[in-house]
Amino acid sequence: MTANGPAKEDVPGRSGARRRRSFAKSSWWQGLLGKGTFDDRVDVRPDITTREAVTLLGRSLKLITEAKGLFLCKFLLQLGMVVPGLYLPWMLRIVVDNAIRQEPFDTTEVRLPPFMEPVQFLAEGQTPMGIMLTITVMFVVMLLLFGSRMGGLRMDLLQGQDAATQAENQLSAGGSAGGGIWGLTELMVNVRLTQTLANRLRTRLFRRLSRMPMTALDDQRIGDSVYRVLYDAPMMPNLVYDLTFTSFFMLVSAVANLYVLQYSYGQVAPELVLMAWLSVPVAFACTFPFSGPLRRTSQNKRAAGAATTNTMEESMSQIAAVQSLGAGERERDRFAARSSQAFQRERYSLAVVLISAAVAFGALGGAGIYVTVLVTNRIIDGSMSVGDFATLLGIFAQIATPAGYFGAFWIKLQDVIAAVRRVFFFLDFPSEEDRVGGTRVATIRQGVTLEHVHFAYPSDPRGSDSLGKKALRDVNVHFGMGELIAIVGPTGSGKTTLAYLIPNLLTPTSGRVLIDGRDARELEIGSLRRHVTYVFQEHLLLSESIRENLLLANPEATQEQLAAALATAGCDDFVEALPHGLDTELGRSGDTLSVGQQQRLSIARGLVRDSSVLILDEPTAALDPQTENALVAALKAVAEKRLVIVIAHRLSTIKNADAIVFLEDGVVREFGSHDELMAKPSGAYREFVALQTA
Amino acid sequence: MTEAPAGETTARRSLNDNGDSTKTERSKLPLLAGYRLDAAAAPPRIGWREMLRLALRTWPFMRPMLRHLITLLVLGFWGVLAGWITGLWGMDLITNKVLVGEKLQPLQASVLFLGSEYVTTDPQRLGAGDAGKDANAGEEADASVDAGGSASSAPELTPQQRRTVRNRLLVWTVIGSVLATLAGFSIYYYSVWIWQCVNQNLRVAMVERAESLSLKHHDEARVGDAIFRVYQDSAMIVNLIQEGIVAPLVAAYGLLIALALVAAFDPWFAVFVLAVMVPIASLAVVSTRRIRLRARDNRQAGSSLTSRTQEVFTALKVIKANRAETRVFRRFDEDSHAALHAAYFLRLDMALVTLAVGTLGGLLLIGGEYLMVAWIIEERETFLGAAVAAFIGFVIWNYGAFEVARNRVSGLAEGARSLIGTWMRMQDLFIALRRAFHLLDLAPEVVDPADPTPVPTPIASVAWRGVRFAYGSETAGEGQGDVLKGVDLEAEAGAVTAIVGATGAGKSTLMALLLRLFDPDSGKVMINGEDLRAFALDDIRSNVAIALQKNVLFADSVAANIAFGAARASRAEIEAAAKIADADEFIREMPKGYDTELGERGAKLSSGQRQRLSIARAVVRNSPILVLDEPTAALDARTERRVLLNLAEWGRAAPPAQRSGEASGKAAKAASGERPAGRVIFLITHRLSTIKNADRIAFIEDGRIQEHGTHGDLMALPDGRYRAFVEAEAVAAEQPSARTATGQPRQ
Repeated sequence: MTANGPAKEDVPGRSGARRRRSFAKSSWWQGLLGKGTFDDRVDVRPDITTREAVTLLGRSLKLITEAKGLFLCKFLLQLGMVVPGLYLPWMLRIVVDNAIRQEPFDTTEVRLPPFMEPVQFLAEGQTPMGIMLTITVMFVVMLLLFGSRMGGLRMDLLQGQDAATQAENQLSAGGSAGGGIWGLTELMVNVRLTQTLANRLRTRLFRRLSRMPMTALDDQRIGDSVYRVLYDAPMMPNLVYDLTFTSFFMLVSAVANLYVLQYSYGQVAPELVLMAWLSVPVAFACTFPFSGPLRRTSQNKRAAGAATTNTMEESMSQIAAVQSLGAGERERDRFAARSSQAFQRERYSLAVVLISAAVAFGALGGAGIYVTVLVTNRIIDGSMSVGDFATLLGIFAQIATPAGYFGAFWIKLQDVIAAVRRVFFFLDFPSEEDRVGGTRVATIRQGVTLEHVHFAYPSDPRGSDSLGKKALRDVNVHFGMGELIAIVGPTGSGKTTLAYLIPNLLTPTSGRVLIDGRDARELEIGSLRRHVTYVFQEHLLLSESIRENLLLANPEATQEQLAAALATAGCDDFVEALPHGLDTELGRSGDTLSVGQQQRLSIARGLVRDSSVLILDEPTAALDPQTENALVAALKAVAEKRLVIVIAHRLSTIKNADAIVFLEDGVVREFGSHDELMAKPSGAYREFVALQTA
Repeated sequence: MTEAPAGETTARRSLNDNGDSTKTERSKLPLLAGYRLDAAAAPPRIGWREMLRLALRTWPFMRPMLRHLITLLVLGFWGVLAGWITGLWGMDLITNKVLVGEKLQPLQASVLFLGSEYVTTDPQRLGAGDAGKDANAGEEADASVDAGGSASSAPELTPQQRRTVRNRLLVWTVIGSVLATLAGFSIYYYSVWIWQCVNQNLRVAMVERAESLSLKHHDEARVGDAIFRVYQDSAMIVNLIQEGIVAPLVAAYGLLIALALVAAFDPWFAVFVLAVMVPIASLAVVSTRRIRLRARDNRQAGSSLTSRTQEVFTALKVIKANRAETRVFRRFDEDSHAALHAAYFLRLDMALVTLAVGTLGGLLLIGGEYLMVAWIIEERETFLGAAVAAFIGFVIWNYGAFEVARNRVSGLAEGARSLIGTWMRMQDLFIALRRAFHLLDLAPEVVDPADPTPVPTPIASVAWRGVRFAYGSETAGEGQGDVLKGVDLEAEAGAVTAIVGATGAGKSTLMALLLRLFDPDSGKVMINGEDLRAFALDDIRSNVAIALQKNVLFADSVAANIAFGAARASRAEIEAAAKIADADEFIREMPKGYDTELGERGAKLSSGQRQRLSIARAVVRNSPILVLDEPTAALDARTERRVLLNLAEWGRAAPPAQRSGEASGKAAKAASGERPAGRVIFLITHRLSTIKNADRIAFIEDGRIQEHGTHGDLMALPDGRYRAFVEAEAVAAEQPSARTATGQPRQ
C-alpha cells in the first residue's frame, strides 16, 4: 500500500494482482462503484450475489428464535395499538355531530359500526354536554392508556453522516405508533428486542473472532474487527423487522384499505387497486438492477470505514513509535485520506440509494397519474362529485403506501444485507471453536513427540489450498517430561513455528504432534492448552490491574502462587514499588512499565499457570544478566517436574538446557545436549557458540 | 449457520470443561431492573454559557465550508418556497379549474400554453373586484357574453377544455416532479457532502491533537476512547445547526403563532394553555439533569465497550494461548450489557419525559375541546371575532372556530413535544461535543517554543545535565517515583555510547527525553550545549533516528515500513538501509520482495526479522543522532555481528547531513562524504559482546549514571558496578554444571 493517496484501492500494486484477476469479468460500472477491498486481507469479497443475499435473510430470520418472548410481546403490543386507532375517528365524529351540532344519534346517514355500540350506549340519551363529558372521559382514558391523540413514541438520538455513527441508533431502535402506558411498554419491549437480537449476533461474532486460527490472526486487522462487532452487527435487527413486523402491518393496512375502497367506491375500485398493486412489480423490476451495486457500495462504505478505524487504531496504539519516528504528520495525513475516502464511499452508496429511490418513486408516480386521469374523467363526466377526488386520492395514497413499500422492499434490504454479510463472513470463518470434543487431557506424563512434521503457512489467509513458505520440514523430535529444552537457530529458522505446534496454536501441514502418544488433533483443545503454557515474544498485557493480568492465565491462582511467580520472574521488587502493588492498573497495553518489566510480567503470567509444559519464546531478550540468571535457575528447578521449552539466543540460557534443538531453514540440523553438540568438530551449533563467545 | 451446533457446543463443553462455563451469554435484558440512577452522581454541568462556548468552538471546522453552507441555506430556502408556490398553484388548478371548471388566471394559461379562450375575464377573479360585489360580477360576466359572444367569455370551461387543462397540468407535473426530485436529491447529497466535510475537519484536528499529546497522556488514555471520541462524539457536529438552531426556532415560532391565535379566540383559553405550559417547562428543567447523566453514561459506556473490544483483539494471541477466551468474553459481555443498559435507560427516560409532556399536551387538547364545546353550546362570543367579522364568521364560537382553534392547540401540544425532544437530544449533542473538544483542548505537555532556533549543524555533542524525571502524576511526593534522579552524561559525535543497566533502570527514558517525547522535570537535555526546548519538535525528531525496543511495524508494505519515518526516502535508499540492517536478503526472499504486505503488527515476520526492519527504519532516516534501543536482543549471534559491523562502519564513515524538516534525503546525499564529524550513536543493550565494542559505556543505576568510560576503564574499577554486571553475565555463561564448563573457555 502506498503511503498516502486517496484512492488506494485503485492502485493495484503487486499485492492486489492475484485478487484482481478474479474480478476480471466484472463490468465497467462495477469498477466505477469500487473494486475496493481496502484494508482487508481475510475478507476480500467485493460482491454479494442475489442468492447469497437471500440466504442471509433466512439466517437473520432464524435469530428470532433466540428472542421469542420479546418478539411475541412486541407483535401483540403493536397489534393492540390498532384498536384505539379504530375508535378514534368515530369518537371525533360523535363530538362534531352529537355534541357540537347537537343531533340525536342515528339520524346521520352513516350508521356507527358495531364496535362503537358500547360507546353509543353510554352517550345516548344524554344532553350534548353530557355526551361531551362522556367522550372526554373516554378520551382521557385512551390518552393515558394508548396515548391516543398525541402521536407515536420513538427515541432516536442524533447521528452522524456515516455508518459507524448511525450504529448506535440501530442498536437500540424501537418505538410505538402510540403512547401512554401501552406505547411506553411497546417502546421498552421493542428496544430490548432490538438490543437482544443485535447483542446475540455481536457477542457471537466476538467469540468467533476471538477464536480465529493463528494463521488468520495475523491478517485480520484490529480496527476491522472492532468495526464489525460494533458497527456492522447492530444492523441485523433492522433486517428482521423489515421482513416481519413492517411487512405484516403493511399488508394488514393494505387489506383494510382495500376493504374500505371496495365498500364505498366499488365502481372505480378494481382499476385503482390494480394500478396501485401493478406498481409493485414495476418498482421491483426497476430497482432490482440497482440491488447489486447497492450491496457493493454498501460493502465498500463499511470496508472503507473499517480501514479508517484501522489507521486510527494503529497510530493510537503505537503512538510511541509514531512520535519517536517523527511520523505524526504522516499518520495524520493517512487518517485524513482514509477518513475522507470513507465519507466518499458513504456518498457513493447514498447516490445509489437516491437513484433507486427516484426510480421506485417514478413507478408509483406513474400509477398516481393514471389514477388522477381516471378520477378526474369521472368528475368531469359528472359521475362523481368533486369531493370524491380528495377522498379517492387519499385512499389511493393509503393503498399506494404499502404498495410502494413492497415495491422498494428488496432494494431497501440491500444496504443492511451488506452489513450483515460482513458479520456472517466471520461467523462462517473456520475457527477453533469448530473443533469440539476430542479426548480431554488430564495430565501430561510422557512428553511431546513430533513425527515427520511439515508446516507451511497458507499464502492466502482464507486457508485455501495454495501454501506459502515452508516453515518446517520433516521435524522428528521427542521432548520428555523433566527436561529443559532449548530451541536454537538463526532468525527465521522456524523456532517459533515449531513451538506453536505443541499447544496446537498451529496444526502441522503433514506429520503428527503427539502428546503422551496421542495425536494433538484428537485432543480437546481447551484442556490441551490448560496443560501447555506459552509465553510469547511480544509481551502483551491487558490494560487492567497486574493481578487481573496474572489471573488471566489461571483464574484460580492463590495469592501465594502469584507472589511466587512474580518472585521467580524477578518482578517482586518493582511490583512492590508501584503505588498500588499488585492492583496497579496498567496503562494502554502496559505502557507504564518499561519493556523489560513487561516482559518479566509476561513470564510471571506463564509461571502462574503451573502447567505441565511451559514454553518461553525468547524470554530473556530484554532482561539484564542478573535477572536472567535467576530466571534460568528457577526454570531449571521448575523443569524437574515439567517440560520447559525455551527459545533462546543467549548462550547462558542455552547451556543450561538438557537438550538443544538446532534449527536451520526449518530443518532440525542437530539435536542433543550442549556437550554432545560441542563435541562434533564442524557442527553448526559449535559454530554458533563460537560466534556468540567471540 | 452455527446457532444450533454452537448451543450444543456450549452444553457439551460445560460437561467436560469447567473453565468454559455454560452461561457465556447473559440472555436477559430486563425491562426495568437497573433503572435506578445513582443519586449522588454529579450531572455534567452544561450551562448556557458552556453550550455557547461549545457551539462557538465548532466555528473553525465549519468556516472552511461557509460558502457551501450559505449556498445550501439559499438553495434550501428557494427550494421550499418554489415547492410551496407550485403546490398552491397545482392545487388551485386541479381543484378549482379542472374539477370545478372555473376559468384560468392569465399567467396560468400562458404557463400551460393555452389560448385566451381559457382565461377568465372576471375582473373580480383578476384581482380588480372586492368582496361585496359578487352579484354584480356575475351580471357583468353575463353581459360580456351577450356583448362579445366569444368563447372566451364563457363562465365555465367545457369538459374538453377541462381535460386539456388537466393533461397539460399533468405534463408539467411530470416535468416538475422529475426536476424537483433531481434538485431535491442533489441538494440532499450536497448537504451530506458539506456535513461530512465539516465532520472530517473536526476528526482530522482531533487525530492530529491526539498524536501530538505527550506519552504521559497516552499512558493513561485508552485507544478505544480516542476512537469513540473521534468517531461518535465528533459526528454530532453535523447536527448542531439543524437541531440547535433551525429546529428550535421553527418550533418556537409555531408555538408563538398558535398562542397568539388562541388568545385571539379567547384570552382565557390562552391562560389555560399557558397554565399547562408551566408544568411542561418545569418538567423540562427538572429532567435535564437526569437526561444529561444518562447521555453521559451512554457515551462513557460506549467508549468503554470500544476500548474493551480493541484491547481484546490486540491481545488475542495471549488470550488464545492461555485459553482465556471465556474470561475475556465475559468482560466483553459485561461491557456490552452496560452499554445496552445505558442506551436503553437513556431512551426510557427520554420516553418518560416525552410521554409526560405528550400527556399534558393531550389533556390540554381534550380539555380545550370540552371547553370549546361548552362555549359553542352557550354561544359565547369570541374575543376578537367581532373585529374580523368582515373576513371570517367567527363572531361567536361555532364549529368552524372549533376546528381552527383545535388545530392550533393540537399544533401547540405537538410543538411543545418536539421542542422538548430537541432539547433532550441537544443535551446528548453537547455532551458529545464536550467530549470531542475535551480532546482538542488538552494542552500538549511538550510544546514547540514560540521562536524555535534551528538545531545546530553539525551536531558535535549531546548532553544531559542534572536531569530528573518521573512518569505520571500519580506517584506523589517530591522525587518519590523518579526514574531519573539527576543524570549527567555527554556523548560526542563519532563515538558509540552504550547505555548499560538493569531492567527498568531508565535507559529508554533517557532516550525518550532526547526525542522530547517528554520534557525533564528538572535539568536539561542539550545538543551542542543548547537546551532542547529551544528547538522545534519536528526539527529535533528529524535529527534523531531510533530503532525501538518494541519492534512496531505497521500493516503496510515492507518498503513503506522502512520508510515510515522518512516518507521521501527513495527505493535505493530503502534498500541500502535494509542492507545495513542485514534485512535485504530475507526481504528479497519474500513473495513480493519489498512490496510484500505485512500483517497486523507485522506479525508474519519472526521477531529477529522485525528487529532488523526496525533498524533499517532508523538507518534510512540518515540522521546525525542514532539511537538503538536493544537493537539485537532477538538476533542470533551471527546476524548481530553483521548488523553491528555494518552499523559501525555506516556510523563513522558516512557522516550525516543536517536535516531540518524539509531537507530531504537528496540534501543528505549531496552533503555526504564532505563532513568529517560522524554520528552520535547510542546503544542500549544487555549483550556483553555488543557492549564491549562501544567507545564509551555509561552504566545507569538508581536513576543516575554511576560509571562512565571505556570497557577497559570500567573493568579496572575494583568494586565497579559495571564490572559486577559483566561478571554476572560471564557467570551465567560459565558457571552451569561441570559438563559444560569444561570445553569452552570464553574468549
